[in-house]
Amino acid sequence: MSFFGFDATLPKDGGHAANAPGFGQTPDAFAGLGGGALDDGDAIDFEETYDGLGDRLDETDDAFNDDTFGSGPATQQAVGRDFDFAGQTSKIADTMHEEQMLYQARQAPPKRQPPIPQASKPARTGYESYHNPEYIPQLEARADIWGLKPKQNDAPLRQPEPVAPAPAAPVAARKMMSLDEVEAMMRSHTMQESFAPGPAQPFQLPAMQQQQELAYNQPQYPGTPPQYAPQILQRPQQQAHPGARQTQQHQQQQPQVHVELPGHSVQAQPSHAPTILQRPRSNQSDPHSQPRQAAQQQANQRPSSQPRQILQNPNRLSGHGQPIAQQGQRGPLPGHNRGPSFPGMVITHPEQLLHLSEEERVAFLEEDAKRAKRNHKIAMLSKDNGLMTPQDKNFITRIQLQQLMAATGNLEDQGSEAALAEDFYFQVFSQIRGAPRQTPHQPANQFAQTYLFQNNGRFGQGRRQGRGGDNHMQRMEQQVQRAVEAAKAKPKSKQLVIEGSLGKISFSNSKTPRPLLNIKRGDTGDKPQTKPHKSSIADRKEALRNIEKVYIILMHLEDHERALPPPINENSDPEEIQRHMEWRSKVEALHKKLWEGIKIMEPINPHASSPHPFIAMLSHGKGKKAIPRIFRHIDDQERLTVVTMIVVHLDNLAVVSHALASPDEPMSAAMREEVALFSQTVMPPLFGLISESPLSNVVGLVGLVLARTNLHVVARSQIGMSLLTILISRAELLKESTPDINIVDWEHWTEQYNQLFNSVEPVLPLLFPGSVNDTDDMYVWQFLAAMGVGASPEQQQRLVIGVKDRVMETVTVSKVLPPEMASARLANVNLFMRAIGLDVELLG
Amino acid sequence: MEDKEEANNEPLDLVRLCIDEMVVVKLRGDRELKGRLHAYDSHCNLVLGDAEETIYVADDEDEDEPSRVRTITKKLEMLFVRGDSVVLIAPHAPIVH
Repeated sequence: MSFFGFDATLPKDGGHAANAPGFGQTPDAFAGLGGGALDDGDAIDFEETYDGLGDRLDETDDAFNDDTFGSGPATQQAVGRDFDFAGQTSKIADTMHEEQMLYQARQAPPKRQPPIPQASKPARTGYESYHNPEYIPQLEARADIWGLKPKQNDAPLRQPEPVAPAPAAPVAARKMMSLDEVEAMMRSHTMQESFAPGPAQPFQLPAMQQQQELAYNQPQYPGTPPQYAPQILQRPQQQAHPGARQTQQHQQQQPQVHVELPGHSVQAQPSHAPTILQRPRSNQSDPHSQPRQAAQQQANQRPSSQPRQILQNPNRLSGHGQPIAQQGQRGPLPGHNRGPSFPGMVITHPEQLLHLSEEERVAFLEEDAKRAKRNHKIAMLSKDNGLMTPQDKNFITRIQLQQLMAATGNLEDQGSEAALAEDFYFQVFSQIRGAPRQTPHQPANQFAQTYLFQNNGRFGQGRRQGRGGDNHMQRMEQQVQRAVEAAKAKPKSKQLVIEGSLGKISFSNSKTPRPLLNIKRGDTGDKPQTKPHKSSIADRKEALRNIEKVYIILMHLEDHERALPPPINENSDPEEIQRHMEWRSKVEALHKKLWEGIKIMEPINPHASSPHPFIAMLSHGKGKKAIPRIFRHIDDQERLTVVTMIVVHLDNLAVVSHALASPDEPMSAAMREEVALFSQTVMPPLFGLISESPLSNVVGLVGLVLARTNLHVVARSQIGMSLLTILISRAELLKESTPDINIVDWEHWTEQYNQLFNSVEPVLPLLFPGSVNDTDDMYVWQFLAAMGVGASPEQQQRLVIGVKDRVMETVTVSKVLPPEMASARLANVNLFMRAIGLDVELLG
Repeated sequence: MEDKEEANNEPLDLVRLCIDEMVVVKLRGDRELKGRLHAYDSHCNLVLGDAEETIYVADDEDEDEPSRVRTITKKLEMLFVRGDSVVLIAPHAPIVH
């Protein structure tokens, strides 16, 4: 009996030794053979055993063997190929590889889909089909060729294509069909791509599966087989990419190496490693719903890879750098595996699309459309990028903020208030100096006029600055601040008293710093009314206090004026009218307060040691400056009262009593300034009033000057002289303009004039404040002229006698002066000379 | 815009009375200013017009001699004084009438 079917009876019966216990002992086949060859003459001769079949081989077509089996170098790979049934398959191996890389490129996530998390899924469901015996031979053959490649990359990558691995026969048939198609495709496309990418897919999958199956099933066999299969599988990989070990490959390879090395000892390992690799697909390869699932899966996976695809596609996005960058990102993989042909990936992509199954294509196209839509949107959004400068944006922001403020309703009103509170002086300044601005917070025009008077030239043109630049931002910031302030209703009180505590907590901010001292004053009133003796310092302080109060009232008044409600008519609703009424009543109240504030109605006490409070106010610069503002708010009667008060106390005014200058004793610079300020601030309102007042008023005022003041002092001061000039010239104008003048009044006036003339005549030579070289004497000539106009011939003569010397001196001096100055001075003199019917020329 | 009615219940209201008046301001670092007070705030930041600054410098180079005080004066048309250096604000002696 022979186990192998050989002739058991050997010639020398050297076969089964007696000591050999059956099959239990491993027979040393070679030993037996060797021994036989050497020792036995009847050893098996090759010639005898050769059946001669080789001679019958038809070798005529062997030249095409390469076509059939492929021509590879005689390497391990080539050896491996011999197991294949078609040379094309080996070609497809490369194609498959290419395809695999392409897929990988398209589907980056596989990397991040390590199989491990899915390990828990029932791996078995997908594999039952693999146990079908029909598959094994087929799979074996292919696995030998390229098995490892799928193993390393495809297992996770191939997920979408579980369609192919479907176990059922029909599916397999379809697979084969697709291969045919692929071949046809291949032929048509060989020019550009040496391999058709499409067909690779179907083949690849079975191979992979087979590989997995092998590994899966191997454990059942003892010894070498488990080890063997992985080795085979790995071989192509090693050759295909010698030295090119991407990290990913490495990772996935790791298990294989594991399998390979300890193969002889570890049984479980081989199955484990492939399991890991195949796991991703295991959950997909549900035999019942594979196609659909596949499509779904693809649809699900696509989105994740889309961004890159978008970036990659040069047709969609203008970013040229992106595809490159993206390639670089995954560079090592495609670069090594696909070689130089890879860069065409993006372009060939649509073609690849053709080879996808129907569902995939639909899904893909759908995704593609979505992507295109999105890209289009992005392009639309970004096409105007960079059109606006930051300044433009600021401007828009400001407008928006303004609208926001307007939208929040009555904040608007507060807004204008806040704008003023924020930067009052700038508001005024810009109103006066700046260009008209069309902001909602623009204060009323008269507001500007109010303060126009205040500019006495000191802060002249030179100080005008273009603030337009920062203005923009500044206002925006202000608005933001206001918006914020409005948003959080800030606590009204500046202090917080916590119940049970002994102290107060003061809130402090930049506007209202925390007061360090909080001294409670008694309610005895601000101004100590009961001053037993008035020192000059107390008077001064009192005057200053009064001025401050006046200013505060003035500011309230002016502030209130800005809050003037819109004008009303018959159709206005009662609320409007009501507001108007309230506004007016408040104006009245403030007006009354102002009137009291200026202390003008304080009784005049001619014998008091201190000047009248109102007059004391006028001794301060700011008091003078207040007069024009006060005049705006008081009625004519009150104005006349003010003028009267000033006239009555004319010689008490500092600018009169302390401004008596003589050639020996010129005025101090400070006093000169005071006088100048007075003429600039107080005189214009007085002049305005007097130039409109009837003769009776003029007569009355002159009468007061004569009766209540020291005319010698008044007439020697610039202010007094100017005031007298105004009064006299007003009377003269009235006489000339109105022929039917009230005779009684006129007689009164003549009387007054004569009295005035007589009073002034003695001081005529002293009228001039300086020497003849002092040029500032025009007001004197004006006064003299005014006097001369109304004077009788006899009075005129007396006038000439009084100032004759000065006239002659001035004429003499002007002869040596430069022509311009000379003519100016002579013009002054002529002013007087003409008034009395003479001319400087006559003095020649 | 500015204060309320009670114009005189805190120390700075006294400074307010000096607005637009000549004031003497003593500063740290042996400096004095004399000028017209245009504006002030709660930090005693001041704006002075027509200001005259006087700096007192002690020349103590020679240890033998008693140190002499030298003064340097400057005239400035307009001046902003930061409040943290202000020691004292006083009304300038009023014009003697």
